[in-house]
Amino acid sequence: MTPPDTAGDALRHDAPLPNPLPRPPDELPRLERIWRSPRGWAFPWTEVNNNWIGVLYLGTAGLFCVLAVILSLLMRAQLAVPGNDLLDQETYNQVFTTHGTMMMFLFAVPAVEALGVYLLPAMLAARDLPFPRLSAYAYWAYAVGGLGFFTSLFFGLAPNGGWFMYPPLTSHEYSPGINADFWLLGIGFIEISAIAGAVEIVVGILRNRAPGMTLARMPLFAWAMLVFAVMIIFAFPAVIWATVLLELERAFDWPFFLPDRGGDPLLRQHLFWFFGHPEVYIIFLPAAGAVSMIVPAMVQTRMVGYGLVAMALVATGFLSFGLWVHHMYATGIPSLSLAFFSGASFAVSVPTGIQVFAWIATIASGKPKLHVPMLFVFGFLFIFVLGGLTGVMVAIVPFDWQAHDTYFIVAHLHYVLIGGMVFPLLAGLYYWAPSAAGWRLSVRLGKWVFWLLFLGVNLTFFPMHISGLIGMPRRVWTYPEGMGLEVWNMLSTASAAVSALGVLLLLVDLARNFRMSPGGPADNPFNAATLEWLPQGNYAARSIPRITSREPLWDQPDLAEQVRQGRHFLPGTVTGLRETLVTSPVEARPQYVAIIPGPAWAHFIAALCTAGFFLSLTVKLLWLAGIFGTVAVSAILYWLWTGTDLGPVVDRADIGGGLCLPVYVSGPDSVSWWAMVVLLLVDGTVFACLGFTHAFLWLSNGDAQWPPPGMGVPEVAFPLGSLALLAGCAGLLWLAGRLLRQGRARAMGGVVLLALPLFLLALGLDLHAVWQAGIRPTLHAFGAATFANQFWQGLHGLMVATMALYLAARAFAGLIDPVRRITFDNVRIFWLYALAQAAAGLCLTHLLPRALGTG
Amino acid sequence: MNLQSAMHPAGPDGERIAALSWLLFGGGGAIFVLVMVLVLVAVVGGRWERRLLGSRRAIVVGGIAFPVVVLTALLLHTLGLARAIGLPLAGGEPPLRIEVVGHQFWWEMRYPGTLPDGGIVTANEIRIPTGRDVMLEVTSADVIHSLWIPALHGKIDMIPGLVNHRRIRADEPGVLRGQCTEFCGAQHAMMAFYVMAQTPEDFAAWLDQQRLPAAEPDRPILALGRQVFGAAGCGGCHAVRGTEWNARIGPDLTHVGSRLSLGAGVLENHRGTLAGWIAGSQDLKPGNRMPSFAAALDGQELRAVAAWLESLK
Amino acid sequence: MTGRVQMALALLLPLAGCGEEVPPANRITGGDAAMGRRLVASHGCASCHVVPGTRWPRGHVGPSLVGFAGRGYIAGILPNTPDNLVRWLRDPPGIAPRTAMPDLGLAQDEARHIAAFLVDPR
Repeated sequence: MTPPDTAGDALRHDAPLPNPLPRPPDELPRLERIWRSPRGWAFPWTEVNNNWIGVLYLGTAGLFCVLAVILSLLMRAQLAVPGNDLLDQETYNQVFTTHGTMMMFLFAVPAVEALGVYLLPAMLAARDLPFPRLSAYAYWAYAVGGLGFFTSLFFGLAPNGGWFMYPPLTSHEYSPGINADFWLLGIGFIEISAIAGAVEIVVGILRNRAPGMTLARMPLFAWAMLVFAVMIIFAFPAVIWATVLLELERAFDWPFFLPDRGGDPLLRQHLFWFFGHPEVYIIFLPAAGAVSMIVPAMVQTRMVGYGLVAMALVATGFLSFGLWVHHMYATGIPSLSLAFFSGASFAVSVPTGIQVFAWIATIASGKPKLHVPMLFVFGFLFIFVLGGLTGVMVAIVPFDWQAHDTYFIVAHLHYVLIGGMVFPLLAGLYYWAPSAAGWRLSVRLGKWVFWLLFLGVNLTFFPMHISGLIGMPRRVWTYPEGMGLEVWNMLSTASAAVSALGVLLLLVDLARNFRMSPGGPADNPFNAATLEWLPQGNYAARSIPRITSREPLWDQPDLAEQVRQGRHFLPGTVTGLRETLVTSPVEARPQYVAIIPGPAWAHFIAALCTAGFFLSLTVKLLWLAGIFGTVAVSAILYWLWTGTDLGPVVDRADIGGGLCLPVYVSGPDSVSWWAMVVLLLVDGTVFACLGFTHAFLWLSNGDAQWPPPGMGVPEVAFPLGSLALLAGCAGLLWLAGRLLRQGRARAMGGVVLLALPLFLLALGLDLHAVWQAGIRPTLHAFGAATFANQFWQGLHGLMVATMALYLAARAFAGLIDPVRRITFDNVRIFWLYALAQAAAGLCLTHLLPRALGTG
Repeated sequence: MNLQSAMHPAGPDGERIAALSWLLFGGGGAIFVLVMVLVLVAVVGGRWERRLLGSRRAIVVGGIAFPVVVLTALLLHTLGLARAIGLPLAGGEPPLRIEVVGHQFWWEMRYPGTLPDGGIVTANEIRIPTGRDVMLEVTSADVIHSLWIPALHGKIDMIPGLVNHRRIRADEPGVLRGQCTEFCGAQHAMMAFYVMAQTPEDFAAWLDQQRLPAAEPDRPILALGRQVFGAAGCGGCHAVRGTEWNARIGPDLTHVGSRLSLGAGVLENHRGTLAGWIAGSQDLKPGNRMPSFAAALDGQELRAVAAWLESLK
Repeated sequence: MTGRVQMALALLLPLAGCGEEVPPANRITGGDAAMGRRLVASHGCASCHVVPGTRWPRGHVGPSLVGFAGRGYIAGILPNTPDNLVRWLRDPPGIAPRTAMPDLGLAQDEARHIAAFLVDPR
């Protein structure tokens, strides 16, 4: 699908406005009706619109934050005096683990993701994100699962191993209770929910921008969210894989981390921090992006160094994947590699420096007004710069040997996260609240909130630098008298109470002054330059503006009025369904009008049951998990069957400016294809982690133990047989594609049903080969790693089977034809990926031990 | 006070790191103040300063050139320092080897080669001679722990299946404190130990004393204590060299009476606290691996076993 | 510092004969409660007993020492008088041979300070 040639003319800044006045009288009412929120008892459960889901998401993240703050106050109360007995050691250990886990997984990542879900469509002038039900599904799974996770604390079942859950402490022998499982399963699907959000955000940013909003004109917040989402795609698989391995070890005694059977506890640390360090920037970058939006509005001038900042965001994303070892300086890693990671850790501070100086430059070239958001920006600069400087300190190996795992680190990480994320988020809250609520939050209360939090946070955490260096390790439920720790701890506790007062006032402000009203009073109180300040409804902007600069509201006079009158693109609805404009990834030329789904129950039920599935698995109610799992999968299939791949509902859509676009596109231009490719990047990264697991355990065991005595490598005939089956399967998929092109959709369905057993047979044959060679998962890490591969391939067998049957059913039901083929395309891409992955898995199992020369 | 402080070093490596720390605090503080002043100037500065600060060039100078220069210099400096920390300190003499094994929630210290058939084993304290390099060879018997003696050096993780090394040296005789710094379970907070640096002569004398098997009871109550120790099954977990008990689950008690602390740096060590620990260890350090023996011993037996252990100097 | 001042006062007071500024416990036992508190801490009494004002440790090997002044008997044997308390603290097994409480080798004045603390821990 090539973009229409006329687009170039219609996008020129001197072209006439795309749509003339007067607009048809029923155009706007129709648009409003189609985008109306569900009413009555269906609200908010069936709601999918990003305005509502975004705010619910933010509110839920805020709730989890407040709960985690309460936990932190409990800890501060316990540590106020030495030898305190307010919390016993077991409760304390559960409380600090839950606090850290909630802040990272239930507050920080979801909050910035929610900010993206809420803001991005308006900022890019899209009607919604491309997959609203996916967002809603991710939100509900997160909300329900997160509450279930928090509740475990009341039963004494919360995890107690620290938020990075190092084995062997978290292995079955030392943590026999289900507390650790609550972390693994309870957080496991929140990771999945984060990935769902990331897919949505990547595709939304690259494909749903306003016409003319080239990458170089994209708001910096969108740049930040793009890097954020790409980082999630490559970082979260590592933690998912680490979670899978630990749960497999706990549930089935596969010794990945147990050294007496060839495992290595450091494997978990590498995987965890390969996620964990980027995680810090995953949290920080969107916040930095928000600051880059707020500062120009506050000082009424353009961002200085836009290009440098965009580059810095991308560079941070890259570099952050090269520093994970700086959390492991004390593990005895050779000093040469430590020097490398030390240098890489220094390097990442350069892009951050660029951003700080860009904000300073922007402030200097404008006229700052001390609105509440600006106060929070100043607070952010103060706290974050200090945290960044201690970050440079702990990047230095000898210093880190002292600071590591002490209260110095507790201070550092809170400075970075509170400074780098919470203050910008609050700045954003005070800045963007008018866009959601129609009016501003209280200036008076806002100033109080700022000063209480600013003083409270600094006085709570600064003393911790000192208590850490004079001998206080982190994660201690108490400390002895007479080490000089008393005064610093008392100061921290007292100041924590001050911060708590700030949080309380913030809640009062929100309760008094925040009422959702999308489409309510629309003005631009800070005279900002970007599109989220256009007059908005649930459908975002009435018509989708043609963009000619980075600051459209400053450079295109009357834009708001033109948009409101419907004089820009797509001023109503063409198909009578919810739609959004899809544009090209770099130049943002209009390509087609995508139909997007509206309110429904299926995704909500699926989300509830997904959360229910994982929670009942955790408490070992297998029958309940079975029910939840079945209902969840059924609901998802129903949702896909009824809500996706609708085909070309109308032939062409006239969006104005002479642009007539299709409403259905398949292949590499469709957003659905993009989403599948992004998902496969996630999948491939998990598989890379699997490969890393093999390589790491081999290195840790040495050639002689890989495989260990007693386990052989299966005869070469087996993998060759599997390969032949995989190749046959690929051939059949090719044939299926050919048949579909010829319009023989039912025959295609038949061929797909033929290909499926070949794939499953290939996987089964390999399982048999491994078993008959004497490889057992419980005896040695070699067997565990081999079976981890079997597990992963089996999971894909299951998914491919589901997808193949679904595809065949659609084909037989006449819902697939040579044009309407997105379902086919997506299944085929995934399937081909699974075939390639299975072949790579065969190499891991059969080639690697042979290549090492002992097989 | 200050027994466990990185800012009060008591050995050459600790001093190097403390000096580095002060350099970092000074430099970091200066940069912090500089940036905050720039923010202030950006807000309230004069026309000229603000125009200077508001340019793209200011970003390149402040955000790229400045950090690259400063951080490169810092990297070179710290790499040199890290290298120096790895080199032997005291010339000639090979370092004294001490193996330290982490357990939930206590420390086992072994001095290999100090006995014909191995070495003496002690717990929860490291005795070292002053002025000599000591190589700690650390590992763990269960979960990951981390050994930290801030006055002498940074921490080193104790990982099961792996032996890590940390070279320390103390200059002056004295007592220092160390603690576990990798969260290791319920009583992570109460897993501490003492380091006692002694003159080489005192250290040699201590070593000679430790080489001896446990003292024979010379009073009836001590004899009773020894008997109770066996009857209550203490020997199922503990070793006392020179007796029939040689289990390795809990600390070696051969010279327990000579140690500075009880329960891994938690209590002072004398017959009173010994009795309290034996009878109610779960009151004192809930979740530790030793059961409370109050139900198994009568008062006199408890007193006797405590007295006997105290006599094992 | 205050402890030492109080002790000096306690020594002087019987001579001066004016009792208002001296804690009654000190007068009764002839010890110094503040000194006693420190001795109780340094001897690790809390490893067996719940000690008033000490949050950790809280041993339950022996009886709680909270409200000790109201106790009728010491170890169920001796009437709870200051002198008996001092005797008991100096040599528990001498008074009750089957007791679990060891002789901690306290000097007479140390025992008096501890007794003062037990009578009125504040």
